[in-house]
Amino acid sequence: MSRIGVFICHCGENISRTVDVEKVAANAAHIPGVAFSTDYKYMCSDPGQTLLKKTIREEKLTHVVVAACSPRMHEKTFRKAVESAGINPFLCEMANIREHCSWVHEDRDEATQKASEIVAMLVERVKRNRSLPTITVPVTKRSLVIGGGIAGIQAALDIADAGHEVILVEREPSIGGHMAQLSETFPTLDCSQCIMTPKMVDVANHPKIKLYTYSEVEQVEGYIGNFQITIRKKARSVDEDKCTGCGICTTKCPQKKIPNKFDQNLGMRSAIYVPFPQAVPNTPVIDRENCTMFKTGKCGVCQKVCGPGAIDYDQQDQLIVEPVGAIVVATGFDLYTIDKKPEGSPYTGYGEFGYGTIPDVIDGLTFERLASASGPTGGKILRPSDGREPKEVVFVQCVGSRSREKGISYCSKICCMYTAKQTMLYHHKVHDGQAYVFFMDARVPGKNYDEFWRRSIEDEEAVYIRGMVSRIYQKDDKVVVMGSDISVGVQVEIEADLVVLATAVMPQPGADLLAQKLGISYDKYNFYSEAHAKLRPVECATAGIFLAGACQGPKDIPDSVAQASAAAAKVMTMFAKDQLEREPIVAKVRENTCVGCFACKKVCPYGAIEEKEIRDRQGNLIRVVAYVNPGVCAGCGTCQATCPSKSIELEGYTDEQIIAMIEAL
Amino acid sequence: MKKKKMLLSSKTMDVDFVRKVEELSGTSVRRCFQCGKCSAGCPMATFMEHPPNRIVRLLQLGQWQRILAGRSIWYCVSCETCSTRCPNKVDLAAIMDALRKLSWDKKEPSKEHYVQLANRLFLENIETYGRQFEMRLAAVFNIKSGQFLKDLMLGPKLLCKGKLKMHQDKNRNIHEIEKIFQRIREMRSKGEAE
Amino acid sequence: MTQDNHLNYAYYPGCSLHASASEYDRSTRELFNALGIGLEEVPDWFCCGATPAHNVDELLSLSLCAKNLDLAKQVNNDMAVACASCFSRMKFTQHILNENQKKRRLVEKAIDGPAHIDGNVKHILEIMARDLGLERLASAVKKPLSGLKVACYYGCLLTRPPEVSKLDDCEAPSIMEDIISAAGAETVQWTHRMECCGANFTLSRPGIVVQLTNAVLNSAKRAGADCIIVACPLCHGNLDMRQEEIEGVYNTSYALPVFYITQLVGLAAGLPAEKLGLDSLMVDPLPMLKKKGLL
Repeated sequence: MSRIGVFICHCGENISRTVDVEKVAANAAHIPGVAFSTDYKYMCSDPGQTLLKKTIREEKLTHVVVAACSPRMHEKTFRKAVESAGINPFLCEMANIREHCSWVHEDRDEATQKASEIVAMLVERVKRNRSLPTITVPVTKRSLVIGGGIAGIQAALDIADAGHEVILVEREPSIGGHMAQLSETFPTLDCSQCIMTPKMVDVANHPKIKLYTYSEVEQVEGYIGNFQITIRKKARSVDEDKCTGCGICTTKCPQKKIPNKFDQNLGMRSAIYVPFPQAVPNTPVIDRENCTMFKTGKCGVCQKVCGPGAIDYDQQDQLIVEPVGAIVVATGFDLYTIDKKPEGSPYTGYGEFGYGTIPDVIDGLTFERLASASGPTGGKILRPSDGREPKEVVFVQCVGSRSREKGISYCSKICCMYTAKQTMLYHHKVHDGQAYVFFMDARVPGKNYDEFWRRSIEDEEAVYIRGMVSRIYQKDDKVVVMGSDISVGVQVEIEADLVVLATAVMPQPGADLLAQKLGISYDKYNFYSEAHAKLRPVECATAGIFLAGACQGPKDIPDSVAQASAAAAKVMTMFAKDQLEREPIVAKVRENTCVGCFACKKVCPYGAIEEKEIRDRQGNLIRVVAYVNPGVCAGCGTCQATCPSKSIELEGYTDEQIIAMIEAL
Repeated sequence: MKKKKMLLSSKTMDVDFVRKVEELSGTSVRRCFQCGKCSAGCPMATFMEHPPNRIVRLLQLGQWQRILAGRSIWYCVSCETCSTRCPNKVDLAAIMDALRKLSWDKKEPSKEHYVQLANRLFLENIETYGRQFEMRLAAVFNIKSGQFLKDLMLGPKLLCKGKLKMHQDKNRNIHEIEKIFQRIREMRSKGEAE
Repeated sequence: MTQDNHLNYAYYPGCSLHASASEYDRSTRELFNALGIGLEEVPDWFCCGATPAHNVDELLSLSLCAKNLDLAKQVNNDMAVACASCFSRMKFTQHILNENQKKRRLVEKAIDGPAHIDGNVKHILEIMARDLGLERLASAVKKPLSGLKVACYYGCLLTRPPEVSKLDDCEAPSIMEDIISAAGAETVQWTHRMECCGANFTLSRPGIVVQLTNAVLNSAKRAGADCIIVACPLCHGNLDMRQEEIEGVYNTSYALPVFYITQLVGLAAGLPAEKLGLDSLMVDPLPMLKKKGLL
């Protein structure tokens, strides 16, 4: 006979303000099977849990119902408590009388009645619960890191240094991401490549890191601890084992006028190319779309001059399967463009700034390439249109960001700092130049950030104007900026030589498709969603997948590195055990009634249903039935709703239980 | 008025006025975060004592008296540039319309009587003739504003080119049109309409 | 709209087109006649209220327009408007009454009848470029405007605000350039084609108009334009009627003829200058046109 303990929580005032908790407890005491019923102010607190454990022992309870907040909040808490008092955790259920009752109703009498009914339902349910043992699955102690920017590099190094193998997959021919494009970084004005290249080389040399560049994740199968990743290694047309990185092929390539994406299309590259001199790996790639050999069948110069004979025009994409136990997603960001957007796009461009047709209106990354010593101008700030040195440069903040009208309502976080930095770089290189910044707010809260920002105004003579820009247009060889100064209360017009727009930070194109492959959530902007905004910032709701860097939200380098190390720590926590525990709320098939129609398999979102052969003692096949892999099953119950013969049921949510709950109302 | 110290309290911030403006204009005043893009693109900002962003700011603080006492709202030319470019979709042009209407209703002598006079004569023409009688509009404006010589040279030139009609027939359906005006007045006196 | 592939519209000229902008009315009618587009004037139409009405009394503005839309619908479900201000007011009325039921009820009470806001209100630019189509327009050209450099002036109300007018991209429109290019002219890129001329302040604050319109004329001149084309009577008035005054104030010379778009397209379609009202323009266009061999 079950002895059920019912505990009604006041939740401070959250529940007791609307629901008469003493009454609910009194009502519950009358339900057959309930041996003890009480109310308490904060069940989740230490004294609350102590009360729970004490009562279980003293009253010899067999099941527990805690009527309080949502199980999503504290189910784990209470299950752990009852387990330590000797009851199987799955004989403890929560009745949600907060989110489902006190928070959404106002009438005290009606709310109390409803709370009593909810409790009654859960009592009926828990009566029919079964003790469930925890399920364990093995864990492959290898990790996949998607993205080779600073976050991906940091995560890979941390995990590899802990002794676990890492597969690092990067889409571009080289790792380094956007940080490699930067000139100097805030708030210290360190040379970006100087601090980054040692880390890049560490990645290349690390015995525990397997680096796949010019590769993408093709397919993801499996579940936490046991993923199968199919990686598409795109054809470089160069044999990496033979290539020595001498660079003769890139020098001799006749196609030299292809805009280089790394240089923001300001600089040119050849068809066989290395994106930048410090690339890791230093192996070139043939851009087959623009290569004469691939377009016309004539050329072959690179093959002729290659000493080791590393050029291979017949190389094909390779599909490689790697088993891993955890995935860290670090795909980074891209910048918003002010170009005219196609019909139906959620974003609009900036027609008032010329829709990207004015050559001397550039974005932040393009300015970085101008300022970078290894950039297309050798570190000189020169106008893209005529190569002259600009004497008046206008920086415009919040282009795209904080603008509901353009489709992006968030703040891009890094622009206030990098614009201040860019005014400093400009001032260092063009001593008689004048920088103007049109801004709304200065969002510079980090360590030493505000001091850095003030330096730009006080020491580096940048003129900051609080006000936005309405229109930018070309007038002869100048770019006219029509802005306003709201502090003075007047319109401001500047005939600039160069305009730098601080455009919004957005996720990489294709971020949504990757998320769909991984089965992780993303928001309306395609930023990946963390499991809990405050308490679980580096984990996804999907178990075994972690987030690092700007793919989760706009972020600067210190935060990206911190988040990458945090994600790595989570991975290492996972790998610290040999077995992973999984929730046993899984579906089970009643094999004698299963007809093998596999409707359940078709609807299972996690791919947890397998085919199982039932054979007789001689080994003859009798029939094939469904089997649920308990490690993969996430307990969603879709199969139960679909099965036409009612042969599959979810533990804790059987039809019998649900009917009993309904009848309790 | 403009430079007077603002003593802010829940009593001195007229929230009801702001709500009325929001209702009339169908937009939110609170969405404005004072970026100044409207003022940057406004063709009339250099003629206004309160540029557009400052008008919204005063409205956010419930200080409508400072707005209506001045000329600024009457210098808005309804070019719609502000509303088109506002990053937060604040319909500033509609707010200007609402402020002008509330000023018009209060019949407060704004400093800007020329523009108000022009508007009044324009509407009178509609009620009298149905269509605009440009000659009357210009002539009566000149007389009532005491600018007898304004555009004096232009007049005869336009007449020669056939651009100025000396006479305007009333519309056949002028009574229909008059009734529209009357009904609106009645609805207002009964409090059915703003 | 179409009767046996023939375009027909209810035509709402607006007050200016019957007075100071009569050449716009004439040229539009003549051109559309030549193009085979039917325009039937809305009987007993009256003033839409333009800017003064909505500036001080939105309910009046919406009511005046709603009643006119009603009168138009009795002629044709599609209304053709030439004046940018009337176009804007009609579109605004449809937009606001569609979204705000409270205002709609008040307007229906004021006009004592239902507000018919679901007809199609089209500017003549749309009719030429889209309904008729640029190809058919080009095929109607008999005397292309070769060698004529035109600055297309949009002004404010044709494209702003974009969600109401829906005519073209409000920062980088091309509809006027498309039409006049189909007529054989060359268009110039200039900086002030969307900047306000000062509109109805021409009556009450002409000093402002002089300043703003000067910037427009200056920009067109610097871009090397031979002339400016407009699709708004008020813009035309400021650019054309006040050009001599502006030249005096700024001690400069523009001599930039300002045409209504239908006048130039009409010329290209082979219509005679008298029918297009070219002689009504204050800045005499005839010398320039003759020099270009277009007349």
